[in-house]
Amino acid sequence: MDNLAELLHGFTIAVTVPHLALMAVGVLLGILVGVLPGLGAPNGVSLLLPLTFGMQPVSAIILLSSMYWGALFGGSVTSILFNIPGEPSSVATTFDGYPMARDGRPTTALATAFGSAAFGALVGVVLITFLASWVAQVALAFGPAEYFAVYFLAFASFVGMGGAAPIKTVVALAIGFAIAAIGIDTVSGSVRLNMGIDELVKGVSFVVAVMGLFGIGELLVAVEEEFHARAVSSRIDWREVFRAVGRLPRHGVALLRSAAIGCWMGITPGGPTAASFMSYGIARRFSRRGRYFGTGEVEGIISPETADHAAGTSALLPMLSLGIPGSATAAVMMGGLMIWGLNPGPMLFVDQKDFVWGLIASMYVGNIVAVVLVLLTVPVFAALMRIPFVVIAPLIVIICVVGAYSVSNSYLDVVMMLGFGVVGYLFKKLFYPLAPLVLAIVIGDKAEDAFRQSMLMSKGSLGIFFANKLVTCLIVAGIALLLLPLVLQLARLWRKPASPTADTTSQEKVII
Amino acid sequence: MISRRALELATAVLTGGFGVAVVTSSFDNGIGWSSAGVEAGTFPFLTGIIIVLGSIYNLVRGVLPVASLANVRVAITQIELRRLAGLFVPAAIFVAAIPPLGIYIASALYVFAVLAIPQHQSVPRALAMAGAASLALYVVFERMFQVSLPHGALAAALGF
Amino acid sequence: MGRTSTFLLSAAATVLAGTMPALSAWQPQKPIEFVATAGPGGGTDNLARAVQNIITKHKLTEQPIVVVNKGGGSGAEGYVYGKASAGDPYKVIFGTSNAWQQPLVSKVAFNYTDLTPIAAMAQDEFLLWVKQDSPYKNAGDYLKAAASGEFKMGGAQSKDTDEVLTRMIEKVGKVKLTYIPFKSGAETAVQLAGGHLDSHVNNPSESLGQWRGGTQRPLCVFSPKRLPQGPKVTATEGWSDVPTCVEQGLDIKQYEQPRTVWLPGKVTPEQAAFYVDLMKKVQATPEWKDYIEKTSQVDTFLTGAEFDKFIKEDLEHVKQVAGEQGWLVK
Repeated sequence: MDNLAELLHGFTIAVTVPHLALMAVGVLLGILVGVLPGLGAPNGVSLLLPLTFGMQPVSAIILLSSMYWGALFGGSVTSILFNIPGEPSSVATTFDGYPMARDGRPTTALATAFGSAAFGALVGVVLITFLASWVAQVALAFGPAEYFAVYFLAFASFVGMGGAAPIKTVVALAIGFAIAAIGIDTVSGSVRLNMGIDELVKGVSFVVAVMGLFGIGELLVAVEEEFHARAVSSRIDWREVFRAVGRLPRHGVALLRSAAIGCWMGITPGGPTAASFMSYGIARRFSRRGRYFGTGEVEGIISPETADHAAGTSALLPMLSLGIPGSATAAVMMGGLMIWGLNPGPMLFVDQKDFVWGLIASMYVGNIVAVVLVLLTVPVFAALMRIPFVVIAPLIVIICVVGAYSVSNSYLDVVMMLGFGVVGYLFKKLFYPLAPLVLAIVIGDKAEDAFRQSMLMSKGSLGIFFANKLVTCLIVAGIALLLLPLVLQLARLWRKPASPTADTTSQEKVII
Repeated sequence: MISRRALELATAVLTGGFGVAVVTSSFDNGIGWSSAGVEAGTFPFLTGIIIVLGSIYNLVRGVLPVASLANVRVAITQIELRRLAGLFVPAAIFVAAIPPLGIYIASALYVFAVLAIPQHQSVPRALAMAGAASLALYVVFERMFQVSLPHGALAAALGF
Repeated sequence: MGRTSTFLLSAAATVLAGTMPALSAWQPQKPIEFVATAGPGGGTDNLARAVQNIITKHKLTEQPIVVVNKGGGSGAEGYVYGKASAGDPYKVIFGTSNAWQQPLVSKVAFNYTDLTPIAAMAQDEFLLWVKQDSPYKNAGDYLKAAASGEFKMGGAQSKDTDEVLTRMIEKVGKVKLTYIPFKSGAETAVQLAGGHLDSHVNNPSESLGQWRGGTQRPLCVFSPKRLPQGPKVTATEGWSDVPTCVEQGLDIKQYEQPRTVWLPGKVTPEQAAFYVDLMKKVQATPEWKDYIEKTSQVDTFLTGAEFDKFIKEDLEHVKQVAGEQGWLVK
């Protein structure tokens, strides 16, 4: 086991007092930027980057990657407490995390999320440790057609699972695709759907849409129902933190399945967002309690969180070994690598052993540091739920406004965000599902690009999607997932004629 | 009082309108196949058509008294509407006030107005919270992370 | 923002024109914003951050500098922002040649004339890359093979520098290539390594790691002479060992991508002079040399009339290629 020896060597680099201190600083800063929507890991990383030029590259990357872990954890906090996902990858966490927090169990929701996130991250690191070279090879096999197939699979596993009226789902999905298409198109270089507004050339940012649809939309729903969070017990409950984490092994199947999905999507460049959605969709379909998803189910939190972090972690590998950043933060880190004089690419693992294995070892240690620190903060965050609604509501509005503005310093974004808020409210009120809309905004344009690149390569023949085993498997799996609910429905209809009234009302109860 | 039917109708018209806008502007980008592959307008065109068709379906379903919808005559009552307005109108005014006043003054005024006018909090407490919110924004964004938030026309006129 | 105050200041300082930048009297009075017209991690972003870092380290100005990324719409977002900030000398826009190329080929709401040119600070070279195990030894082999089959050429963005160069190769080499646009050069490099493409025309820094790792190799460089001697990249070869394309019978003498710096329009000559001077000081630091070497770019500094001339020439050239391809927007 060559890798094991290297890893142990890496630990001797990572586990030193200065490096542990850097990890703690990085993680805390990361939690802060992660919690505050409008700031994200890229802000923090690009802020720290100039400070790191005087450091050893390995110290610098430890500081930056710890910050990345902190931000990943922090991002789930606002999703769970206020239904405001700060990063695309934590959208799926809101589906069950927020209802659970609203139900008076914010501590349980947060602790479950952090515990499963840490598990996912650790599985991701183990994968990197032992299968690094293999993983890099797998990623190379993905051309445009395979990319498209991965996105298709993510859509297929998610769409058609909600309880919403099918036509409303289709409309929501199509609107998401249209929003994703706004701005400059990669394949043709031309401006699309800017509706006469010059500034829209930059496109509609996911954050702007989500702040409005989820943050403001939920606020409007809540105020209309005159919602008051169910009283959270006033004493800080440490025991519940440990109890929630202790209960995780009971959901072993969900944890392992989600970690597997996460790793798979991290390596195949589907990314953490697609991973969390797909994991949630599959959990909902296969869990025994799938029916209750959307009301605050534990597995509804475990699945997206585990997959998100497993993917986020394993996605660092393609960055190091191939030089393709999986996220905006990874991109900033990569810029840093180059300024430190390291070139991401296959040779990094050969030339810069200390650096690479120091980093990998620091992923183990950094994630443990991060989960400990973040679990310590749970009661503090949970206490935020005790602030009266009248006080917290304007603060949430301000946070959404600042968050939307700081995406690209644009006032137009703030106005759009407010507009999305109204849409979010209407959609929620009328049972249009928001999740497919958001998924389409996040990966819709990437799927379209991949499709059109494939068509360029094949000169218009759809045969390219069945050209080799890999892409065929992916496409077939996607089609199967897409058809499965239809087949089940038909089978049920065939057995007993449905009573439409009862069906629609029960369907409209839980929609995500 | 707003009926569920009216709400369904309004939303379907909204989505349908967006669909029409998408379809018309996709014509600028070309639809179909060219030497440069699938043209840029093709997918927007198709999604636009789907949005329009789906909206029409939702519109018709919203108008026709289908079983499930007939049960819900009232979607938003008078009181609910007032509560909604109570949250949304100040928020909209806040957003409108950002270009002239800048985010710091606007957010302080907003927090103060929302807390003090309906007498949720006493005036001094509301003042303190307004100041704290604004200060926290400044310290975290402008100082710590060097993210510049809008200062507004007022600050510009004063020379900041 | 702050227009009144800067106007007063600049009015008081009209003595010196931009010809004597070292003595420019205008000084910034508030934080300066560097606008990178690219996402975090790209070449343009790296340049903006490197310059920020150098200025801060050497205290070349008293004011703090903030870098913001406005890379939406292939950089158009940043330029449109620059246009909207007319008269504001606290926004410095970092871009490439797409400042004048993009308005030719897509309906964006800006043109380079809306901005005040400061300088072109570095030039990125282009090379023709193929997969490591491909049978082509030189550009001649490549063209011969490309003439028979249909080759897939990858590149970053559409109708941008990479595609313009691809079309030039087609014309000069009398071949037909299928151009497939990706989001970035790094992504293109990985697609080539995976064998999904036949070639690409990346900048040195975009494919350096891949070359070292033995997944792809350069055939030739689009430059009038070979690149400067530097440290070896692979065990046996360095940048200076790559022949020029002209040597190998692919007659494209020069194709480079300048990294450009702009101010918004309607700023005073003194304000522009201050930044020209600032960038000159940046260029004189050892950190700058280091940055140039590590990113394998060519150190140049074009400003004033020279920069204008460069833009005009490049514009004519791109117009010609774009016209032939039918890309020009009506």
